Amino acid sequence: MTSHGIARSTHVRTEEQRQADLVRIGKYHDLEGQLRERVRNGTLDTQTLDLTSRLLRANPEYYTVWNVRRRCLTSSTLSASRRGSSRSSAPSNSTDTPTATSSSGASSSAPAATRGSPESPRTGPSGITVDGAAGPATSHGAGGESEAAGEKSREEREAARDEEEAAWRSDADVIAAELSFTIPLLMEAPKCYWIWNHRTWALQQATERLPQAAARATWERELGLAGKMLSKDRRNFHAWGYRRWVVSRLEGPALGGGSMAEAEFAYTTGMIHGDLSNFSAWHTRSQLIPRLLAERGASDAARKKFLEDELALLSNAVNVGPEDQSLWYYHQFLLLNLVSRDEKESMVPRLETAERTAYIQAEIEGIKDLLEDYQDIKWIYEALMECALSLAKVEDREVNDEEKGEMREWLGKLRELDPMREGRWVDVARRYGLE
Amino acid sequence: MESLTESTWDVVIHGTGLQQSLLVLALSRSGKKILHVDPNEYYGGPDAALTLQDAESWLEAHSGSSTGPSLFRSAAHSKAGEQKEEGRKGLSSGRAYSLSLSPQIIHARSTLLSHLVSSRAYRQLEFLAVGSFFIYRPGSESESAPRAASLTRIPATREAVFSNTEIAPRSKRSLMKFLKFVLDHDSEANLPLWTPRADDPLDEFLLSDFKLDSDLRAYVVTLTLSQTGDISVRDGLAVLHRHLTSTGFFGPGFAALYPKWGGGSEVAQVACRAGAVGGAVYMLGTDIRSVARDDATGELEIELTTDVTVKSRTLVRGDEAGEKPTEAVARLVAVVDPPLRSLFEVVVEGSPAPAVAVVAFPAGSLEGGKYPVYVVAHSSDTGECPSGQSILYLSTTPSPTSKSHLETALAALLPSISVSGEPEPKPLYTLYYEQAQGAPELRSDGGTLTLPSPRISLSFDDGTLDIVREAWGLLWDKLGGGEERGEFMVFEDREGADDDEM
Amino acid sequence: MASTLDAAPGDPSLATDAHVVYIQTLDTKKDDYNYWLTEHLRLNGVYWGLTALHLLGRPDALPRADTIDFVLSCQHENGGFGAAPGHDAHMLSTVSAVQLLVMLDAVDELETRGQGVAKVGGFIANLQNRETGTFAGDEWGEEDTRFLYGAFNALSLLGLLDLVDVEKAVQHVASCANFDGGYGTGPGAESHSGQIFTCVAALAIAGRLDLVDVDKLGQWLSERQVPCGGLNGRPEKQEDVCYSWWVLSSLDIIGRSHWIDREKLIGFILRCQDVERGGISDRPGNMVDVWHTLFGVTGLSLLGYPGLEPVDPVYCLPRKTTQRVLGGA
Repeated sequence: MTSHGIARSTHVRTEEQRQADLVRIGKYHDLEGQLRERVRNGTLDTQTLDLTSRLLRANPEYYTVWNVRRRCLTSSTLSASRRGSSRSSAPSNSTDTPTATSSSGASSSAPAATRGSPESPRTGPSGITVDGAAGPATSHGAGGESEAAGEKSREEREAARDEEEAAWRSDADVIAAELSFTIPLLMEAPKCYWIWNHRTWALQQATERLPQAAARATWERELGLAGKMLSKDRRNFHAWGYRRWVVSRLEGPALGGGSMAEAEFAYTTGMIHGDLSNFSAWHTRSQLIPRLLAERGASDAARKKFLEDELALLSNAVNVGPEDQSLWYYHQFLLLNLVSRDEKESMVPRLETAERTAYIQAEIEGIKDLLEDYQDIKWIYEALMECALSLAKVEDREVNDEEKGEMREWLGKLRELDPMREGRWVDVARRYGLE
Repeated sequence: MESLTESTWDVVIHGTGLQQSLLVLALSRSGKKILHVDPNEYYGGPDAALTLQDAESWLEAHSGSSTGPSLFRSAAHSKAGEQKEEGRKGLSSGRAYSLSLSPQIIHARSTLLSHLVSSRAYRQLEFLAVGSFFIYRPGSESESAPRAASLTRIPATREAVFSNTEIAPRSKRSLMKFLKFVLDHDSEANLPLWTPRADDPLDEFLLSDFKLDSDLRAYVVTLTLSQTGDISVRDGLAVLHRHLTSTGFFGPGFAALYPKWGGGSEVAQVACRAGAVGGAVYMLGTDIRSVARDDATGELEIELTTDVTVKSRTLVRGDEAGEKPTEAVARLVAVVDPPLRSLFEVVVEGSPAPAVAVVAFPAGSLEGGKYPVYVVAHSSDTGECPSGQSILYLSTTPSPTSKSHLETALAALLPSISVSGEPEPKPLYTLYYEQAQGAPELRSDGGTLTLPSPRISLSFDDGTLDIVREAWGLLWDKLGGGEERGEFMVFEDREGADDDEM
Repeated sequence: MASTLDAAPGDPSLATDAHVVYIQTLDTKKDDYNYWLTEHLRLNGVYWGLTALHLLGRPDALPRADTIDFVLSCQHENGGFGAAPGHDAHMLSTVSAVQLLVMLDAVDELETRGQGVAKVGGFIANLQNRETGTFAGDEWGEEDTRFLYGAFNALSLLGLLDLVDVEKAVQHVASCANFDGGYGTGPGAESHSGQIFTCVAALAIAGRLDLVDVDKLGQWLSERQVPCGGLNGRPEKQEDVCYSWWVLSSLDIIGRSHWIDREKLIGFILRCQDVERGGISDRPGNMVDVWHTLFGVTGLSLLGYPGLEPVDPVYCLPRKTTQRVLGGA
C-alpha cells in the first residue's frame, strides 16, 4: 500500500498472471485460515509456530502473525522459568507477556530438557562458545535459590540445578533460532518495523531467561548485525536506532555492562571516514561527546583539546566537501558548543569569553579561506552568517555595523545562490536589520 | 566417439579462453549443438591459471621467441634454493598454486559483472574485494631529510582525500575538484573543457587545467592503470570515471572484484560448466589439425588431433598468434613468503577484507626503466597459493631490459612491505614471460569466426564482452537463429535455485 | 493567494477525477496478491483514501455506511482497532479508526454498535508509559513518538486527553529535540521529518509550541527542499512526495511555510501524478499508492492549490472536520 522507488509500469497483467495471482492468494488465505483456526482454539504449539514462519516469509509486515508467533514461543517452546523469577516464590506470570500461561509452559519443559543436553559442547553462530558462560550462571542460579534450599537433599538440589540449566540452554536455542529466522527477512526488508521489533523481543527474552554472561554474548552479537545492516545502508534509520538501543541495554545493569561511549564514539569516527555525508554518524557523535567527556572526567584543558580536535576534523572535512550539508550541521553543533555555557550543551562550559571569541574568529577566517577555491557554495555563506551571529551572542551584544556590512554581502550571495528559500532570507534581513 | 561424427554440429569452439567460454555461456540455453575443444589439458587458454606443473610444460612451449607464432614468448622461471630458512615454509607442492597467466581485476561497474548476474553464472563464483591502490615512493638519501622507500594509498574518494595526512589542504581542494570533474566530465558544461584536448596526454592536462602538483599527477595517472603511463585525456577520464563510480558500488571500501580461484580462468570454467549443463560437449587435450569447407553444403569439416573429423556449420577460434600486435606486456609472477599483510588491510569501516591490492611504480620511480611497473598482489585468500604466502603479478611495457626492470621493482617493493616480527619477504618462485595483444577486432570468414587475442589490460576491458556479444549475434545469423535468440546472457535460474514459496 | 499558485507551464494540473476513481477502485483489487499482502494497512488505507477524497471535494465518493461498518468490524473488545478483521489491535489502526469516525461524523456509532468511546480512550491511554510519558504501539511495547502523536490526535478528537499524563508526554517530546532543532523517534535519535511532524503536532495539540526552537527547526525543515522542488526527510537523502506533508505541515504549524519555494513544490507533486489512471507516487514516474496520494493532496492543500479543501496541519484531517469537532477558527 506504500511503495517507494518502484518504477510505474503501464504493463497490464495477462490472464495467465492473474490466474497465478489467484493461486498464490488461495495458498496465502489457506495458510492464514489454518493459523486463525488454531489461534481461535488456543492451540499455540510448534505447528502453529511453523505456520507463522511460512506466513511471515511471505509477508513480514503481518504484525498480527508476529504477535501469534511470540505467543506460541512463550507458551510452547520457551521454558516457564525466568532468571528474574527464580528468586521469587510465585511462578512467573509477568504482565509484559500477556499470553504466558504457566500450565502449558510447565508441560513443555520436559522435551526442552532433553534437547538441551549439557554434555554436548555448544558453539554460538559466531563461534563464541556459550559454555564459557555457564560458570557464573550456575553459581548465580544456586546462590539465588530460595531459603527452602537448605531443606532439600544434595541430589534434589543438583537435579533442580540441572533442570534449570537445561531450561536456559533450551531457551538460548529458541532465541538463537528466532534471531536467525529474521535475518533473511531483514535483508529483504531492512525497513520493516515489525522484524526489528521481533528481534528486540527475542533479545529481551535473552535478558530475562539466560544467565547474564550468555545473555550478554547474545546482545553483543547483535551489535555485529547492526553494524552489518549499516554497512549495507549507512543511513538506515532503524539500524541506527537499533544500534543505539542495543548499546544502551549492553550498558545496563541487567547485562552487567559498563559505558560503551568510547567504543561507539570510535565507531562514528570510522563511519565518518567511510562516508563524510553520513549525518547519522555525525549526529550520533554529537550525542556521545557530552557523555564521553563526563565519563573521562575531562579537565577544562582536556575539553579544550577535544574541541580543537573536533574543529580540526571538521575543517579538514569541509575542505574536501564544502557542498555537504551534513558537515555544516555538525559545524552548527560545534558553534553551539562555543556559544553555550551550559554543561549539557557545551563541551567547554567554562571557557573564557575571549577564548570563545578567538575560536569563532578562527572559524570565520578558515571558512573565508574556502572561498578562494569554492565560490558558489551557499553553505559557506550560511556558516559565515552563523559565525557572525554566534560572535555577537558570545560577547552578549548586537551585531555591529561592520559585521552587518559583511552579513549583507553574504546574504546577498545567499539570495543569489539559493532563491528557493527567498522567504527565509527576507525574514533574516528584517530580523537583523540587513535590508 | 562415433556420436561426434553422427551429425553436424552447429558450432565448434576452439579454446576455452575467457572469450570463448563467455560465448558458450551466452549460447548455453540456445539448444544449439556445441562441441568445445581445447588443446590444453586445462581450461582457460591464455587466461588460464596454472599449477607449477602446468607452468613447467607451458614454459617449455613458450620459452623461445622463435617457437612459431604465439601470444606468449621469452618465458623463463627461477626457484629459490631448496634448503629452507628458519620461519619459512618454502615452496609447497606444485598443485597448491594456480598462477594466473593474465590476471585482471574486474571493476564493480563492469558489464561483465552485470552479465554474470543476468546469466546466473555468478552463483558459482566467489568474488573477493580488491582493496587499496598504492603508489611506490622511492626513498631519499638526502642528508637533510633521509626517507625510506614507502607505499602510499592513492586517495580516490572524498573520504580518502579527507583521511590523507600527507597532502596539503589546498592541494586537497585541487584534487577534489579534479575528481568531481571526472564524475561529471560528460556533462554539457564540462565537455568543452576537455574535448579539444582529448588526445593530449592526461598528465599535461592535469597540470595545465587543474594545477595538480607532481605527486598528485602521479596519483591520478597511476590510477588509470596505463601500462605505458602516457594515457590520453579521453581514455584517462573514461577509465578514472569507471574507477570512481565503481568505488563503493558493491559495498564500502572497494572498487573492483576478483573471482576466487584464478580470476578470469575461474569465470571461464564456470561459463564452460554452464555450457556443459546446456548440452555442450567438452574435449580437453584436443586440437584442431585442419579445417576444410564443403563448398556444396557450406559445412566445415574439422579434423581433430584425436583423428576424428567432425562436421560443423560454424567454427569459433581465438587469435593465438597475436597477429598484427598492437600492444604487449612483460610479466613477472612471483610467489612470495611471508604473506605481505600490510597490503591487505581493511581501511574503511564495514568493508570486506581485501584479497587483492595494486601497487604502482610510476615511470621514473625506479632507475633504468622509462615505463611504470604495476604489481597486483594476491593474498592466499584468492586460493592461488598456500596460506602464509602471496603472489605478486608484476607487469610493464616490454623493452630489452624489462626483465631486469621487473626484478628491480620486485627487489624494491619487498623491503617496503615487510611487517615487523615477520621475516623479510622473499620470492620462492618467479616466472617471466611476455604477452602480445593482436588486433582487437572480431574477424569473420565464411563459417569461421576468429576472436581477437585477450586484452592485456590490468582491469577487465568491457570491449571484450562487446566482442563476445558481436560473435553471438553473428552466430545466430549464420545459424538462421531468427527471433528466439532472446536477450544476450539473460537467463532464469535453472530449477532448484528458486525457493520463494510458502 | 491561491490564484498565484497555479501550476507552472509544462506541469500537469491536478487530475482530480482520476484520483477519485483511483481511490474508489482500491478495494476492487481482490484478485491481486498485493492487495492481501497489504491487509495489515487496510484501515489506515481507508483513512488515507477517504481523507484525500474529502480534500478533493468528493467526500461521498466512498459509501459512508459501508465505511462505518468496516471500521466497527475492526474493533476488539479492549476498545482498540486492528487493521482489518482478524488483525490485532494497534495504536496506528486505532487512530485511523477514530479519525475515520470523526470525519464521517459517526463517533456516536461507537456507543450504539461498538465498544463505546470510553473503551477506545482506555485502550489508548493504557499504552502510555507512565514513567517516561511516551506511548507504545501495542502490548508488545515498541515506543516511538509516532504513537505519542497518534494518542494525542485520537484522544483530543474524542475529548479524552485528560485520560493521559499530558505533561509527562510533553516533557518526553522535549527530550527528543536535537541540536539542529529537529526531533527523532526518541531521545538521542537523529532528526527526521516524519518524527518532527509527530512531535511538533503533538506539542501543538498540547498547546506547548513554546518549546520549539522555531528558527532553528524552520531552517532545518526549509533545507529539506532539493533543487527539483521536492522535499526530503533528512540531509543528503532523496526527495519523496510524502515529505510534502511531514515537512510542510511542520513548517505550517510553526508559521514558516514561506521558507520554501511553494510553487516548485507544487510542480514536483503534480509531476508525481499518474494523470491517466490516478494516484500519486513518491517520485515522478514511480508506482502510485494511496499513501503518497494522500500526502500529495494534503501538500497541495497546504500550498493553497485551487479547488482543494483546506487541511488541518496538526490532525491531517479536513479543516471542516476539526473545526466541527474542536471548534475554533
